Amino acid sequence: MLKDTPIACHECDLILKLPLMTRDTKAACPRCGFVFTRYFVQAKSKLLAFSLSALIFFALSFYFPFLNFSAQGSVKSVTLLQSLMSLGSDTYLILVVFMLITTVIVPLLMLIGMIYVLISTYTQINLPQVKPILRGIFHLKPWNMTEIFLLGILVSMVKIQSLAQVQFGFSFYAFTLYVVSMALTRLYLDRYQCWNWIKDKQKVSLVAHG
Amino acid sequence: MVDFYPHTATSQQKKVCSMCFRVNSLETNYCYHCDSKVLVAHKRALQKTLAWLTTSIILYIPANFYPIMNTLYLGDRTESTIFGGVLTLWSHGSYPIAIIIFVASVMVPVVKIMALATLCYFAMDSKRVDYGNHHKILRMTELVGRWSMVDIYVVTVLVALIQMGNIMTINPGEASIAFAAMVVTTMIAAMSFDPKLIWQKIDSQSNGDPSVK
Repeated sequence: MLKDTPIACHECDLILKLPLMTRDTKAACPRCGFVFTRYFVQAKSKLLAFSLSALIFFALSFYFPFLNFSAQGSVKSVTLLQSLMSLGSDTYLILVVFMLITTVIVPLLMLIGMIYVLISTYTQINLPQVKPILRGIFHLKPWNMTEIFLLGILVSMVKIQSLAQVQFGFSFYAFTLYVVSMALTRLYLDRYQCWNWIKDKQKVSLVAHG
Repeated sequence: MVDFYPHTATSQQKKVCSMCFRVNSLETNYCYHCDSKVLVAHKRALQKTLAWLTTSIILYIPANFYPIMNTLYLGDRTESTIFGGVLTLWSHGSYPIAIIIFVASVMVPVVKIMALATLCYFAMDSKRVDYGNHHKILRMTELVGRWSMVDIYVVTVLVALIQMGNIMTINPGEASIAFAAMVVTTMIAAMSFDPKLIWQKIDSQSNGDPSVK
């Protein structure tokens, strides 16, 4: 069983038709090994679930103390926003802007866009600008660096171990869960499948218009 | 399992959309399915890759020789470069972290730049055909390349957290901007490279038969 639409390999240009995918399989180019798609059962619901939970955890990670320090007798707790703001006054403003873009703005835009597209595909309603938004999501995907930021936090914790005693606050755990949900959202975000949902939607609207 | 069309998109006078993989006719500018701009693989695009790649090679020098972090501890100012930071971590016994930083910020950028340069060379030189696995190296480095940014995040997090009045302050060094810019430019260079340029030459040598590698 093959899908009707011929596609071509993004890397080696070979024209192919992908078979209908079954549970836990992936489709790779027979010539260069480029992976077109991985099939996950109920990818749509999983995407919606994880992008919603990522949004919630992200909101939570701003309200509570992120880290509690104790050094030389003084105890200090910082929230995520405070630590970002304290960077903003620095001369290295461009680093702060870069950090904000890759860990806050891009993920937020991706999540909101994803939820918008999913609502449109779920309800079969033609919401405006779904195609440009889906394109935007895939263009933004490589610039989403939340998981790298988490690794950066962990490494810097190890580095200051000798200077101060650090305890993770509630926000840190919320942020970790946000990173995990974001990573899972990225995992289920599949070009081939997402664009096939758009096609399904058009088919339905064609039938509806006679 | 997979049914072959015996030809490539180019040999069929078609072009492939890089966004949704649909096959478009040569005359169309925008993909019929996803409306994104569809471009044909052309040697001219290599200029863009080479420009970004050259920028990142130039940026690699200040990124490694200038300090990435300045620490002011009780009036003592210490500057540490990326490699110096790795050595310090190693001497303090935090081997896993030292290895992570070494791989992410020293090894990965070099491997990525070298792989891209090799691919550009094979795509440019009309005589040599690459039957090797360079595209696999590129694909791998594209996945791993983003993790180079971890060093920048470590510095910014440390700067944000450690502001203990006069006792200790940490400031980002000159290399931090150069390093961040280097990672960004290598990412753009890798994205702008079209592997089809290499496969087109393999196709033209094997007369378009995709079963011949």
